[in-house]
Amino acid sequence: MNARGYLTNTPSKTLVVVYLRGGADGLSMVVPMDDDAYYRARPTISVGRKDATALDGFFGLNPELAALHRAYADGALAIVHGAGSEDSTRSHFEAQDRMEHGGNAGGGWLGRYLAHSPNFVAGPLSVVAIGKAQPMCLWGAPASVAMESFEQFSVGDTPPGFISELTKLYAAENDTLASAARDALSAMEKVAALKADSYRPANGAVYPAEKFGTGLRQIAQLIKAGVGLEVATVDLDGWDSHFASGTLMNPLMRRLSEGLSAFYADMGKAMATTTVVVMTEFGRRVYQNASFGTDHGRGSVMFVLGGGVSGGRVYSDWVPLDSDRLEGPGDVPVTHNFRNVLVPILQRHSTLADFKPVFPDFELEPLPLYG
Amino acid sequence: MKYTRRTFLQVTAGVSLSALVGCEKLPIELGLAPPVRMTPDLLVSPESIEKDEIAHVIDRLSFGARPGDYGRVRAMGIEAYIDEQLSPEGLDDAYCDWVTRRFTTLQLPIGELYEYREHLLLNDLTRATIAKAVYSDRQLYEVMVGFWSDHFNIDSSKGDCAWLKTADDRDVIRKHALGKFPELLRASALSPAMLWYLDGRENRKAAEDEQPNENYARELLELHTLGVYGGYTQRDVMEVARCLTGWTVRSHAVWKLGKVEFKPELHDDGPKSVLGHDIAAGRGAEDLDDVLDIVCRHPATAQHLATKLCRKFIADDPAAESIDAVATAFSESGGDIPATLRALFNTEEFRIRRGEKMKRPFRFIASALRATDAKSDVREELLEYLVRMGHAPFQCPTPDGYPEEPDRWMGSMMWRWHFAVGLAKNAIPGTKVDWGGLFGRPDGEPGFIADTLGRIPSADEARAYFDSGLGVALLLASPAFQRY
Repeated sequence: MNARGYLTNTPSKTLVVVYLRGGADGLSMVVPMDDDAYYRARPTISVGRKDATALDGFFGLNPELAALHRAYADGALAIVHGAGSEDSTRSHFEAQDRMEHGGNAGGGWLGRYLAHSPNFVAGPLSVVAIGKAQPMCLWGAPASVAMESFEQFSVGDTPPGFISELTKLYAAENDTLASAARDALSAMEKVAALKADSYRPANGAVYPAEKFGTGLRQIAQLIKAGVGLEVATVDLDGWDSHFASGTLMNPLMRRLSEGLSAFYADMGKAMATTTVVVMTEFGRRVYQNASFGTDHGRGSVMFVLGGGVSGGRVYSDWVPLDSDRLEGPGDVPVTHNFRNVLVPILQRHSTLADFKPVFPDFELEPLPLYG
Repeated sequence: MKYTRRTFLQVTAGVSLSALVGCEKLPIELGLAPPVRMTPDLLVSPESIEKDEIAHVIDRLSFGARPGDYGRVRAMGIEAYIDEQLSPEGLDDAYCDWVTRRFTTLQLPIGELYEYREHLLLNDLTRATIAKAVYSDRQLYEVMVGFWSDHFNIDSSKGDCAWLKTADDRDVIRKHALGKFPELLRASALSPAMLWYLDGRENRKAAEDEQPNENYARELLELHTLGVYGGYTQRDVMEVARCLTGWTVRSHAVWKLGKVEFKPELHDDGPKSVLGHDIAAGRGAEDLDDVLDIVCRHPATAQHLATKLCRKFIADDPAAESIDAVATAFSESGGDIPATLRALFNTEEFRIRRGEKMKRPFRFIASALRATDAKSDVREELLEYLVRMGHAPFQCPTPDGYPEEPDRWMGSMMWRWHFAVGLAKNAIPGTKVDWGGLFGRPDGEPGFIADTLGRIPSADEARAYFDSGLGVALLLASPAFQRY
């Protein structure tokens, strides 16, 4: 048996999953500028045509997301409107559960994907969840580490002779176990060298100095260090904008766009082999409520950045917002099931042919995201 | 979520979780006398530079030697030890029962399980599983519980399995782990958790155009019995699925939730043919018995199980003669599990292929806790290691269970070392090692090292032990301790 050390088998691609928890309002992020019904339904909280950054003549970016326009203009950012799951409970818990679980099966969709993916090699840093705990989508992953800082990735404080003696013992062996140990030692060394204060992002990129931006920076550092990172997850919480949605969403959108655009600039050419996908459990009601917010709805947006995506366009089967095809009490219908957005991405990242075990009980119709 | 009085109590209890954990610790800390465990023999430890047969057999029949196990088995003899472990009911396990007494949900009838929040059930079940692997003196039984839990894998995060896996573990896996395979298989086929996990409960034929759900039928043949190359066809899968139509689990009723029922109106009552055997029309619920009987007697089942058992207990590439001997014992005994294992333990290959298997993360953790005689109340911080290494019990998403192959586990090295360092420094909350007591045995630290390795250390290992500055952690992190 050949040694299959994850360092000698560095993945050719990295997938970064960003989850916007709380139900992010797709209509505020990617505005249907050409749908008058949008302005009628949201007399005080809509984004004006003059304020939005035009994308394709119909949609425009919220000014707080303007930093993302660069990637969009480069053709590296695709937007999917009307994205979501089939869950219609409009409950955060149920909808997140449905989306992260990905159907009636054991584990989470990412966990099952990794467990089934023939080219996945479980190394100590193959799968990293930035945060305190592993998100539900990673349940059942063959390996994963949740960490908030690089310091947590070590064997802990040991006397000076410990690592060197351990290294010597494994050096004397020459089987798979020994090569796995050498990989682990080398990964620890590499991570130890990644000091936040000494990291200089490329191309003048500046990560916002808060949790989400720092998480993306750490992911970029790990990718560049070549530690075998195949999947990373990071959350941006707090999108439940029932009340005064602008006040609540504006700083979040700024963090999202500044973080993503810093990552995009920092990664540079490596963005071709790195995909970032941004998702949320549901969007918001079309019409605003009495407290200038919006209530739980259905379809929202997903962003797909990098990885060779056919970007510079909004994928949408738009249902006019005054149409009787709105869902339930007046919600953007889900015209793109999240699975159909994820599967083409996963197909780019893996040789896995059959996605039934990853997304059971669902007739997949992958969105042609790669032209 | 179900709201009941008990849920309310559980939610309330959750608020003061830290206080609860504190209480759980009390008996150990106060020294309230726990039952006495099997007497270890600390006067004798392994003396040779290579693992001898005694140390090897202990390695394979258990989750690793405790201090004194070697001396005990040497005194009683290997064959007597094997006999003892094959008849676990004769072994007093009061100490383990005492340690696991706090996991009260394990004994609840199915209906009452539904009154709990699901993560509490998984938490109890997982903690109890680890505690039993570490503290039970019925070690071979626990090893087989692990084997069958993989073989009949159920991921508790699918549907109602969250509530029902506790009952499956108790009424299927543990009830039959060292019993008869046909009874184990039947219990599994009718386990509400399995009916949920592999969609058997959805398998019906109520109308002419309704197609059976083949999920369980396929895994029954591919994983549980004949094996993927066992000679069945797609037609057999479909016929087995037809035979099993109509078995459902109550999931929406207000009472008797989780009850398994046969509904004749959902059963396909036409004639079937399974693996060359005709099953007459109109046999209803008895179709299930016919199918299980056919697959249990099929020679491919004996071969498949013998291969898996030999890989588990002998080596990743066992010899064909060993597999044949075990398969023969399985067939001739009608699937008697102890008889099958005895044949395996009697193969020459079992006795001579020593130290070749790589410990999976669960065994690594359990063996380290056993080697150091650690006292642990198996808290979150301990479970977290298994999650990081991808080996948390009852969380394997694929029906084939956690793989036995070492490749899958190669990413876990750093966390093994992290655990070794944490244990050596007594830095894992809820887990304590009495190092003074451990080294205070008559043959001292060298005796502890030899018991831990199952042999005396090599010159390199001895030097590394002392030069590392944290010898015990180094010992547990060393290549030798990753194998068994």
